Amino acid sequence: MPNVSYIHTVNSIKKHPAENMIEVKNLKKSFGDREVLKGINFSIKKGELYGLLGPNGAGKTTAISILSSLLNADSGEVFIENLNLRTDTNAIKRITGVVPQEIALYNDLTALENLMFWGGIYNVPKQELSQKANELLQLFGLEDRKNDRVKNYSGGMKRRINIAAALLHKPKILFLDEPTVGIDPQSRNLIFEVIEKLHRERITIIYTTHYMEEAERLCDRIGIIDNGEIIAEGTLEELKKNSPVKEVISITFSDMNNDNYKKLKSFRSDIKLTENIVHFYTSDAKTELPKLVSFCNQAGLEFNNIEILKTNVETIFLNLTGKQLRD
Amino acid sequence: MIKIVIKDLKLFFNDKGSMLMAFAVPIVLITLFAFAYGGVGKGNKSNKIVLQVSDLDNTTESKEAIEQLDSLKSIQIKLKDLEDAENAIKTGEASSVLIIHKGFSDSLMAGNVLPLELKYDEAREIEIGLIQQSLIPTISMLPFRLKGSKNVIGKRLVKMTGTTDLQTQQSIQNQSDNLNDVIAKSIAESSQSNDKMKNPSFGFYGEDMKMTKIIKAKNGNRIGLVQAVAGTSVMMLLFSVVGIGLGLLDEKKEGTLKRLIYSPIKPGNILLGKMISANIMSILQLFIMFHFAWLAFGLKIGSQLPGMIITIIATSFACSAFGVFIASFAKKREQIQGLSILIILAMSAIGGSMMPLFFMPAFMQKLAAISVNYWSIQAFFDVFWRNLSVTDPVFLIRILILFLIGGILNTIAVVLFRKNILKLV
Repeated sequence: MPNVSYIHTVNSIKKHPAENMIEVKNLKKSFGDREVLKGINFSIKKGELYGLLGPNGAGKTTAISILSSLLNADSGEVFIENLNLRTDTNAIKRITGVVPQEIALYNDLTALENLMFWGGIYNVPKQELSQKANELLQLFGLEDRKNDRVKNYSGGMKRRINIAAALLHKPKILFLDEPTVGIDPQSRNLIFEVIEKLHRERITIIYTTHYMEEAERLCDRIGIIDNGEIIAEGTLEELKKNSPVKEVISITFSDMNNDNYKKLKSFRSDIKLTENIVHFYTSDAKTELPKLVSFCNQAGLEFNNIEILKTNVETIFLNLTGKQLRD
Repeated sequence: MIKIVIKDLKLFFNDKGSMLMAFAVPIVLITLFAFAYGGVGKGNKSNKIVLQVSDLDNTTESKEAIEQLDSLKSIQIKLKDLEDAENAIKTGEASSVLIIHKGFSDSLMAGNVLPLELKYDEAREIEIGLIQQSLIPTISMLPFRLKGSKNVIGKRLVKMTGTTDLQTQQSIQNQSDNLNDVIAKSIAESSQSNDKMKNPSFGFYGEDMKMTKIIKAKNGNRIGLVQAVAGTSVMMLLFSVVGIGLGLLDEKKEGTLKRLIYSPIKPGNILLGKMISANIMSILQLFIMFHFAWLAFGLKIGSQLPGMIITIIATSFACSAFGVFIASFAKKREQIQGLSILIILAMSAIGGSMMPLFFMPAFMQKLAAISVNYWSIQAFFDVFWRNLSVTDPVFLIRILILFLIGGILNTIAVVLFRKNILKLV
């Protein structure tokens, strides 16, 4: 069968008069009584790499599932390249690639067979597909192993093929749902390099993660999602600039019980507790730290470690939610 | 050590699949085989073999003879027109027909050979053997049982000796009349014990029953081989296709189904693809099985090729639909795996894959019609044993039923697929 031209399809469908590549408006989704998305809004420009950052259960995967047509939203609207997701689903599917969180490959097929199958699903012509598959195998450093069955691959190698399988039909938009979970540093770096290359090629990317380092390294803009709501959004610089907190003093106490916590609260009311670590948000750690140590000594609070963190996505998130990203 | 024992037992009892295989599957199979071998219920009523009888003589004696046969514990008489009875044998509904030809009464009274004929399907030789075993003693004793037939033994003996001397003839007649009274008394006593097999058979009449095969292996196929190949192939095919169907649930678990849904492919086409691949693999499997039987055991395929191809396609369609249907019931493989084995074994037991149907009581033979195995095996018998042509209505009906079963199961599978399997999140 000849390759289906999505450009033709796109032109033949009524367009939404927006300039953004992706536009999400008041998206809501519930599972039973549990409201997973509480009306999220965001928009992404062409070629932008947008990070959706949040802890497990925040609603990232649900948002991606809706954007990639796996789930229907309860309400709200999504426009992708000016097409309405609700009505132009197939046209949108042809221009998007999805890298799911799980390794969705056929273990008993070789890497090349997997790529040929997944590309074939998008009706990529055989010759073009074969060429593209080999290019991607080379790009992901797996050309030598292309005829090995995927079940014999390491976790990192499987992750790489998992991403390659979403690129065969040259998507304009790529959804990457936590693509680096549980892999070795070498594979992680390789994946980052590929994502950066795709970014340079002006592919629009939504990248969900709960690793702040990944968001900071890769993303043009970051949306911080928690409990089904986007609680902050912007470039890393914007997020830092808008954050009232510039530094965080994190003290690990040997025994953090209720009484001790109350004592610390009497010193500063805006502290946050995660396990036995207490976080103090400040605009000037140098001045604040001696006072804090002196208070702890006077109150008889024993501590094992003190860490001063400069503002980053993690501290911003901690300040906004009182939770760590990897909670 | 005790802790390990307790842990293992806990794990075992928490594993529904293991529990099913350990208890439910054997219990169901024991129940089915107990019914099949007649080990359930009081008396032997359910084990009676059906014998069609066509009474062409239609006399008091012939009717009385039928009554005598009907009193047998092991045989259930069904009176039928000869044509209907012969058709029933050809279609496999019945194994045989006892024909009481015109002149039965006259022959009986004259001491001549009784015009009795048993027409039968050679495929059911074990069943026919059982019928013969019951019929011959009873037929032998008919002259002693039937009213007004007191002197016929003497007449028969005279004819058997071939003597023309009137004095000798009279002597034989007198002695046989005396003997007749003794035998009649003995029959009366033994009939009270309801043990017909103890009745003496003098070989006067039973040996005269003409045996006629109305279905026999015209192409040289052995019935046991056809039963073995068809029964086993269909049962194993069901296991294979359920495996293919359960592959859908594996795809769901491993995320590949989700990935397929991300693509522009329609969800219905995912199931259709699975159905088509299951069909192709089923056809291939059956072809290989029958060709193996040809190469290894000499199954004669030759002129039966068109019928075999049609039956293989219809069987594959019904069986693969069954595989997808079973898989679509569950959300996870674990929920259905053990149950599917149970269903296949049960269907194979009642459908004739594990043993010939005539072994089973009548109600189980009727129950067989709910299984794919039954229709498929019967269609293979039509092709390889009964030699029915591909245009024979009997064969076509079986093929139609297989396609109908497949169609219904596929339709239900599509609905359940949307409800159970496509719910991914």
